[in-house]
Amino acid sequence: MKLKTSKFGAFYLSLFFVVLYLPVLSVILYSFNASPSTAQWTGFTLDWYRELFRDRVIVESFKVSIEVALLTALLSAIMGTASAVISMWVTDGMKKAIQGMMVLPLLVPEIALGIALLIFFNSINLPFGHLTLVLSHSLFCVPYVYIMVQLRLKEIDRSILESARDLGATTWQVIETVILPLVTPSIITASLLALAMSLDDVIISTYMSGAKTTTLPVHIFSMMRVGVTPKVNALCTLILVGTFFIVGLSQLTKKQNKEAV
Amino acid sequence: MQTLKRNILAVPIVVWIGLLVGVPLLFVFVLSFLSRDSLGNIVVQFTLENYQRVFDPIYLRVFLNSLLLALLTGILTLVVGYPVAYITSNLEPKKRALSIGLIMLPFWISSLLRTYGWMILLGNAGIINNVLRALGVIDAPLSMMYKFSTTLIGTAYMLVPFMIVAIFNSVDKLDRSLLEASYDLGANKRQTFFNITLPLTIPGIAGGFTLVFIPALGLFYVSDLLGGGNTIFLGNLINTQVTRGRNRPLAAAFSMAMIVVAILVISLYGRVAKDDREGLFQ
Repeated sequence: MKLKTSKFGAFYLSLFFVVLYLPVLSVILYSFNASPSTAQWTGFTLDWYRELFRDRVIVESFKVSIEVALLTALLSAIMGTASAVISMWVTDGMKKAIQGMMVLPLLVPEIALGIALLIFFNSINLPFGHLTLVLSHSLFCVPYVYIMVQLRLKEIDRSILESARDLGATTWQVIETVILPLVTPSIITASLLALAMSLDDVIISTYMSGAKTTTLPVHIFSMMRVGVTPKVNALCTLILVGTFFIVGLSQLTKKQNKEAV
Repeated sequence: MQTLKRNILAVPIVVWIGLLVGVPLLFVFVLSFLSRDSLGNIVVQFTLENYQRVFDPIYLRVFLNSLLLALLTGILTLVVGYPVAYITSNLEPKKRALSIGLIMLPFWISSLLRTYGWMILLGNAGIINNVLRALGVIDAPLSMMYKFSTTLIGTAYMLVPFMIVAIFNSVDKLDRSLLEASYDLGANKRQTFFNITLPLTIPGIAGGFTLVFIPALGLFYVSDLLGGGNTIFLGNLINTQVTRGRNRPLAAAFSMAMIVVAILVISLYGRVAKDDREGLFQ
């Protein structure tokens, strides 16, 4: 049975999406405004974008963000996949322990986790910078990779693994030749999500940044606190374009995988 | 021996996350009972003063502000999000996929950008004021920024996709034949919704509430940018104490209080959604 969507329903849904995207579109629109104030529209310009590339702090923090995000995505892909695959063989008790560990970082309020890591790294004298950023970001990225890979593993027909074993494959051969190829698309999608989450993080990064290694969001936040300037609009718009490029890539890998099957 | 061999590879993973989450949380716990000297350096001396200060009327106010914000965010996202999830699950396949895509897309959009968008819309020289003035509805700009309600709108806006996804999963799993049976027995749409659909989607609602409530306690950048510090929330307080106030033991005590609230909410969720445990992060 299919319930018919009423006119009111369709209207409500459309209204919701307008409100959901209006703030985003406003930011993009005003990045092209010649006037530095949102009070009036004085014409189209690309000056604010040009100004971005001249700002050394922005360029530097962008570099830090990209490096951290790439390393985080890589580390999360490895750790998350390993956790999910290993979970297939361990005892039920250990499986529960892994699951618990994976959910833990997602359940602790982010700011509390940030403070906790700050205090911890401080007391073991770990210098704040790339390493602390990657370690902390991977905490909230690994669980997503784990969850996505695990969902895919559940879909795999167990009899395929058994026949591989019957044909004499070792556990490692089963993982390498059967499991990994099947979960690769999930790993890629999850890593891209990790990349985007790392690039976007404000709260934990606030506490993990070193004196010379500020991430872009932390810098943008400090710019926003001063007030509305079109330069921030331009920067946000560029980041949006970058992220959508990543989303596009992940959709593409999904599609290709479907066609391959 | 066999068990040991099976489990050995999993040990590094559990230890690794345990070391990066469990041990730091233990540090916060210990720190919350320590003192500090006048320079802000931590002194190893047991005290309950930090916890006493949590119940100091000034700080208690901050705590209640945050609880109220998180609660109202939960209610607002539920009221706004439930119909979105419900309508989407009943759409025809193509429109449904589009709707799901539009609901998920904000997860990929920078949260700072989404907060900043509200600054541009609601500011005194913002878009809404400009439009209203151009239409002659108002003469002087409406003051919409830096209020409790501004922070509430921003926080709810940030978290509403979580609520929708949680409810959607629940509504979508609903056995449609139950609804059909309800109609066959003469119930109208309204009765069917309140007697069948709503009770069966309670686990989804509880899951969404949990996913919204906990982050709402600590999104300090939203209250900083949209609330302008007029109402102080837990997140802002902890952030200020760590970055500027240099009173880390107090920040640790507040973090512990926040974690306790989070644990309470999660255990409440566990009770409501007994058989739907996996649902929270799927």
